[in-house]
Amino acid sequence: MLCLVCGLLWFTASPPLVAAPSAPAREYQVKAVFLFNFLQFVEWPATVFPDQNSPIRIGVLGDDPFGSALEEAVRDEAINHRRLIVNRSHRVEDLRDCQLVFISKSENRRIDAILPLLNSHPVLTVSEVEGFARHGGVIAFYQDGKKVRFEINIGTAQRLGLKMSSELLRLGKIVGQESLTGDFSK
Amino acid sequence: MSRHQDLPIRKKLSRVILLTCTIVLLMACASLAAYEVFDFRRAIARDSTVLAEILGKNTRAALAFEDDVAAQEMLNALQAEPHVVSAGLYNREGGLFVHYIRSQTSITLPAHPEGDGHRFENGELLVFRPVVLRGKRIGTIYLQVDLAVINSRLWLFGAIAGIILIIALLVALVLSHRLQRPITDPLLALADTAQVIAQRKDYSVRAIKQGNDEIGTLTDAFNAMVTGIQERESALHAEIAERKLAEHRVQAQLARLDQLHQITRATGERQDLRSIFQVVVRSLEDHLPVDFCCMCLYDEAGHTLTVTSVGVNSESLAAELALTENSTIPIDQNGLSRCVRGELVYEPRIADVYFPFPQRLARGGLNALVAAPLLIESKVFGVLIAARRQSASFSSGECEFLKQLSEHVALAAHQAQLYGALQQAYDDLRQSQQTILQQERLRALGQMASGIAHDINNAISPVTLYTESLLDTEPNLSPRARDYLTTIQHAMEDVAQTVSRMREFYRQREPQLSLLPVDLNRLVDQVLNLTRVRWSDMPLQNGVVIELQTELAQALPSILGIESEIREALTNLIFNAVDAMPNGGTLTLRTRINANSTQVQVEIIDTGIGMNDDTRRRCLEPFFTTKGERGTGLGLAMVYGTLQRHGAEIEIDSTLGRGTTMRLLFPVPSATPATPVVISSAPATSRLRLLIIDDDPLIIRSLSNALESEGHDVCAASGGQAGIDAFIKAQNTNLLFDIVITDLGMPYVDGRKVSAAIKAASPRTPVILLTGWGERMTAEGDIPPHVDQVLSKPPKLRELRSSFVHLLNGAPPRSSSPGTDNPLAP
Repeated sequence: MLCLVCGLLWFTASPPLVAAPSAPAREYQVKAVFLFNFLQFVEWPATVFPDQNSPIRIGVLGDDPFGSALEEAVRDEAINHRRLIVNRSHRVEDLRDCQLVFISKSENRRIDAILPLLNSHPVLTVSEVEGFARHGGVIAFYQDGKKVRFEINIGTAQRLGLKMSSELLRLGKIVGQESLTGDFSK
Repeated sequence: MSRHQDLPIRKKLSRVILLTCTIVLLMACASLAAYEVFDFRRAIARDSTVLAEILGKNTRAALAFEDDVAAQEMLNALQAEPHVVSAGLYNREGGLFVHYIRSQTSITLPAHPEGDGHRFENGELLVFRPVVLRGKRIGTIYLQVDLAVINSRLWLFGAIAGIILIIALLVALVLSHRLQRPITDPLLALADTAQVIAQRKDYSVRAIKQGNDEIGTLTDAFNAMVTGIQERESALHAEIAERKLAEHRVQAQLARLDQLHQITRATGERQDLRSIFQVVVRSLEDHLPVDFCCMCLYDEAGHTLTVTSVGVNSESLAAELALTENSTIPIDQNGLSRCVRGELVYEPRIADVYFPFPQRLARGGLNALVAAPLLIESKVFGVLIAARRQSASFSSGECEFLKQLSEHVALAAHQAQLYGALQQAYDDLRQSQQTILQQERLRALGQMASGIAHDINNAISPVTLYTESLLDTEPNLSPRARDYLTTIQHAMEDVAQTVSRMREFYRQREPQLSLLPVDLNRLVDQVLNLTRVRWSDMPLQNGVVIELQTELAQALPSILGIESEIREALTNLIFNAVDAMPNGGTLTLRTRINANSTQVQVEIIDTGIGMNDDTRRRCLEPFFTTKGERGTGLGLAMVYGTLQRHGAEIEIDSTLGRGTTMRLLFPVPSATPATPVVISSAPATSRLRLLIIDDDPLIIRSLSNALESEGHDVCAASGGQAGIDAFIKAQNTNLLFDIVITDLGMPYVDGRKVSAAIKAASPRTPVILLTGWGERMTAEGDIPPHVDQVLSKPPKLRELRSSFVHLLNGAPPRSSSPGTDNPLAP
């Protein structure tokens, strides 16, 4: 059912999606870079990585809005000698190893379900869903005019054991946990 | 620079010190400032780099998330840093992300970042630093830093340095002023001393030595130099004084030389002693000058001096001293005697000399005397006396001058004498030149006359021969005829005499003339008769009356002479007297004897026009005439010659317009010789056979006729060759000629050749040479060889007869016998 709905949604949204793989929108190019940047200003507990050379995995949950932009953003990049790998999946379970999980708009309805799954271990969750940060996510993109801005829920991050750089915090809009349910349920 | 050199040494030293201080300080300040600038720039570069690094770090997140607001905020924080003029943040692609510009400035940032690092440009520092995120460059930070602060720091630094400099200089000034004194004070003292010496010319001043350094040495050297100058100056002064004295002497000497020169020139222009002396005396009086001056001539025989010239100014004194001109001074045993021995005498104080002449001068108030001798060829002929009132007033130069002057005067006098002698010699020379000229004229005339005489002698030969022949051989002649013939004979004799005398002009007659006693009274009568036509008849025709007076002395002694010559002379003088009275007058002839009977005088006096002096002087010269074309100029010259031959003199008294007296003075012989016997007719020889050779037919004919009428047998030959032929022919036929008479001058074969041929054929045959040149031949001793007798033309029968007798009697004379009355053929 959900799938149907998703598929339906996908269909309704197909015209832009069709174009996405070939020429990702400017917005997602910026967001892809932002994702990469987030990796640089956030530190994970050492336990996250099995060993010294374990890559940093970026997971895209749901429909991929980036196209090739994300791959381009992380190509040939390394953070603390760790390679960057992008994983895509519609299933939360597939993305358990990821250190950062971008939750696509396609998962909008499942957010409440997804988040508890992800927040069980130190994962930086990012989404463009409005109010995502106030509702259990760590970072949420939002549009400020033509610019892409983001909100940070520092409480969530701390709870997850993520160390956010002050530089990042200075740039992001700091939000608090209002209520885990509420809006989502509404 | 020159101004610097003109500065006082103190200021110079101060300047040097201050300049050194200034330079050193400035160099120190400059190096400090340079170091300051360098250090500041390094510091600001470092600071700015650090700032850029910090900014990069702070903005790298904003850059990474393209958060321009946050980045801008960061950059705006630079407002706290006033030096930062602008700042810029460039993204990875090089585009300007955000920028910061300090307010109130208009700056454009570079569009793209440059290479990392910093550079200084236009007083600003530009810094480019990379913005790194996790070891990865994500952009560039740019800073533009204003360096104005360095300038303000430099200003501050400069102000501090300037203050330090001024203080340092003030200190240096004070110090230099104090410290330079040990050097400058002695130097200035030395300079002051030098100036004092230079200004006052006082070389006795010395500089004071203040130490033993170089300046002390300099002071010593200066003092030594001044000492040297002082010595040299005093020596120089002495020398200058000496030279001035010498120059003064030279000037005086030159003045005297000039005077000497002037006197010498003045005397050189004069030729007589008196005016030379006058010049000298005047010049000495005026220019030497002297109070008394005179010139004296020395009379050696009388041992006196004769004053000849006294100066104009000395005349009164001379009169007082009895030393006027022409007065004599006896030479006493004083200076004058030394002077006449040739010494210059100088008596500085004549009053002290006790001799008459100096005392005489001393009485006239004169005290110093110089007597200079005038010497010609080391013989004193005069004395120059100069005297002054002031005693000892003649300097040695003046004495020398007077000595030289006397030498010059003597020389001039000598020259004047020489000039006189020269003039005399010149006059004599001119005289003898004129005599020679006259003789030369006469010689030429004589030669001409000789030719004329020859021709005349030939021409008158027939007349003489016929007249004599007629008179001798014709007893039946009427008395009238005889009288006429006698007159003709006399006239012919006169002609022959005249002709022979014509030649006398060129040749001195031998002194031994055959002089015969002559009665001058009778001769005067004769001449008056002969010339009657001239002094009586001819003037009367023109209505002119000449009155004749004769004053003949009684018992006049005879003189020795040649009657015809004296007659001729008297005739000449009478003619002259008549010519001098064209308007009539009185002609007086006077004979008289002088008081002691040694001279007989004949005077021919006219009352005619007279002669001026010039004419009177020249009237005896040959060819001098006042009668123009009418006169030959020979009359009086012949008279003079005649008189000279007779040892007589002539006196001419003449007054122009009053008349002339010609006075002939004949010496009276001491004893009148006996009158020689005149052979009037030679004893007739026997009939002779004669050969006559001549080229002149008239002579042949007249001679043949005359000799034939004597009774001789005469054969005539015309020409020399014909004569020789005739002689040879006669010899061959044994009809020898007794005597041959041949002419001398004939064409082709002359008398000499004829006689030579005849003597060759018959050496014993006498030859008589008959010649118109006979006078000259006999006179010159030119009787040709082979000739036994020379007879002159015109031939006279008396001579021929006499010759025949002598030649045939075997005692042939070589010349005419003294018995003939031909006085010109000795």
